[in-house]
Amino acid sequence: MKSNLLKYTHIASFIIALLFSINGATQENDASNYKMLFNFKTVKQNDNSRLLEVRFIAKNRKNRKDKIPVYDAEIKFFTILNNEKKILGTAKTSKEGIAQITLPKNQKYLIDKEGNIHLTAHFEGTNAIDRREKKITIKDLQLELNLTEIDSVKTVLVKAFTIDSLGVDTPVDNVDLFIAIGGMLSKMKLEEGSITNGEFKYEFPTDIPGDVNGNITVYTIIEDHEQFGNIIQNKTINWGVFNKQITEEKNTLWSDAAPIWMYIVLTILLGGVWINYIYSIINLIKIKKEGEIIELKLEQ
Amino acid sequence: MNLENRKRELVKEFSPMLEKTSSLSKIWISTLIAIILVGLYAFILQVIKGHEITGMRDNVVWGVYIINFIFFVGISYSGAFIAGILHYFKTPWKNSILRIIEIITVLSLVIGPIFILLCIGRLDRLHYLFIYPRIQSPITWDIIAIITDLVGCFIYLYLTFIPDFAILRDSPDLKVPTWRKKLYKFLAIGYHDSPTQRKILHKITKTMSAMIIAMAIVAYTVLAWIFSLTLQPGWNSSIFAPYFIVAGLYSGVGVIIIAMYLIRKIFKLEKYLRKVHFIGAGVVLLVLSLLFGYFTFSEYFSRWFSHKTKDIDLLKTLFSRYFWEFIFANYIGVLIPIFILFFKRFRNIKSITFAALIAVLGLWLNRYLIVIPTLETPYLPIQDTRPEFIYYTATWVEWSLSLAGIAAFLLLFTLIIKFVPIIPMSGIIENERNPKKNKKRIKKYLTEE
Repeated sequence: MKSNLLKYTHIASFIIALLFSINGATQENDASNYKMLFNFKTVKQNDNSRLLEVRFIAKNRKNRKDKIPVYDAEIKFFTILNNEKKILGTAKTSKEGIAQITLPKNQKYLIDKEGNIHLTAHFEGTNAIDRREKKITIKDLQLELNLTEIDSVKTVLVKAFTIDSLGVDTPVDNVDLFIAIGGMLSKMKLEEGSITNGEFKYEFPTDIPGDVNGNITVYTIIEDHEQFGNIIQNKTINWGVFNKQITEEKNTLWSDAAPIWMYIVLTILLGGVWINYIYSIINLIKIKKEGEIIELKLEQ
Repeated sequence: MNLENRKRELVKEFSPMLEKTSSLSKIWISTLIAIILVGLYAFILQVIKGHEITGMRDNVVWGVYIINFIFFVGISYSGAFIAGILHYFKTPWKNSILRIIEIITVLSLVIGPIFILLCIGRLDRLHYLFIYPRIQSPITWDIIAIITDLVGCFIYLYLTFIPDFAILRDSPDLKVPTWRKKLYKFLAIGYHDSPTQRKILHKITKTMSAMIIAMAIVAYTVLAWIFSLTLQPGWNSSIFAPYFIVAGLYSGVGVIIIAMYLIRKIFKLEKYLRKVHFIGAGVVLLVLSLLFGYFTFSEYFSRWFSHKTKDIDLLKTLFSRYFWEFIFANYIGVLIPIFILFFKRFRNIKSITFAALIAVLGLWLNRYLIVIPTLETPYLPIQDTRPEFIYYTATWVEWSLSLAGIAAFLLLFTLIIKFVPIIPMSGIIENERNPKKNKKRIKKYLTEE
């Protein structure tokens, strides 16, 4: 019996170790093992409305691939100036951990002397997750997208400026942007550049097909700019060049006449075989003639 | 060695096969003729009433006829291939089996295409195929290839028969009717085995044997293309041509083994058809069964993995409606021959023949499963119709015509071996002609079981 116990010691210790390890795995699901990512961004959209978005994700400290979106968390969005705080809206995070609100074009914000807007996203916190808050400061940038033909050249013209409290336009400088067109699944980047003296000009390519009607949606995008945030403008225009196929792809096997190569190949193949048959028959005739001579000799 | 005496001895040895027709033979021939007559009656009915009396309908336009066609042509192709290759082997044992293979080759190629004619709904328009051929159509290629192959096989068979016709012509002791003597004389075309004649005959036989190998591959490839060049689920496959060739070889070797067994038993040719022939053919069958199994697996696995809707529908049909047929064709028909032939201890004449029989039956079912389930699962199914319009079941007409085809094959085989010896006498003499050269080979051959 003793020897039996000793014999199974290794197995027993393995099972115990396994139990502990299962327990360990349970512990790993604890919220303390996760780091909370609370990202806040704003996007000024095509119709000059402003999107405020929070992405709330729990990320495992040990396993980078283990990311769990925080669902149904209430996020409050504020505009703040000094001690004044004005709520802009509230949204709950989706299953993807995203909370969004869209503020209309004429939304009033609290703006400081320099024309900065201070925005805050706030999560109250629960027993399991601590409260979170994130602030961003942006300046309202006016981005204009014009699609015109200058001397028959299709041109994308972008103007970018800020408007001060007196209503005076101030062109911006050294702001990076890119021009893209809309595709079926994502946007295709055409050009990257920088706004100089409030303007950016780009000669549109002449070989983009567009949709079935030749329409193309052109985007100008400023992405994650430290001063202006994200701004998107887009316009749809009939600049697509539909590439008509000059020659129709045809399966010649289904046409009235077979392709010439087929006649040539078949003739060579069949010719080769039948010539060989004829050659055999000619040789058989030779055998017959030889036989006639032999028979004649035998008769003699 | 006195050649004339030896020829006389051989004629004497084989003359019972040529001269006498036993009562058993007569019963056998009568039975075959009766089966053919029933088939003929079925054929007349089919011509008068049309394909309505068969199981073929709008969906399944090809039935057991096309399966028999593929099967017979496959056997023929295989025979041509093996006969062609054996011609290049300088071994005495090939002589005993060469004629069996050659006769099977030609007869299969004669019987096979008849089944195509049975498939045609309007036989009165058959000549249109020749008057208005579409050179782009694989059907036209097939007609050209089969006719060319048939002519080639006939020439080849005739070339190998000439020396035996000459021996039979020069045998005064042979008690056969005068018309047969005259026919032997006519077919022997004055062949007297002179060095020049022998040289010419060897030369053209060698060329023709190479030619029939090539023709067989071309003909069977074209036959596979009739299926694979369409987009039908189960047919549209790039490996169909080599798959058909391997399958054809597999069934052909199986039929050759069965024929060898029956001929050996019936004509008591144990002296000529020895165990070594069966072992050799069995090993070839083993290799082919492995290859066939590999191709079958590749074919079905890629269809299953690609997960195309229609292919999956087809596979579901194979694993439901045709479950047992599928199991027999692709599992039993492959694994049993592999199992029997793989182990040396199981390799005896009876077990090898049994393995060959399983392989042949499996192959016939394999062809059935290639043709019918695909036609039953078309891209555009007919809706709200009777099940018999969708699913195929062969009628007695089709079965009797199929049996008539097999009976015709057996009858012609029986008649041919009553006309010329099944073991080429000229081959035996050829082996004995150069005793020094062939001494070692013959000794080895004779010492083997």
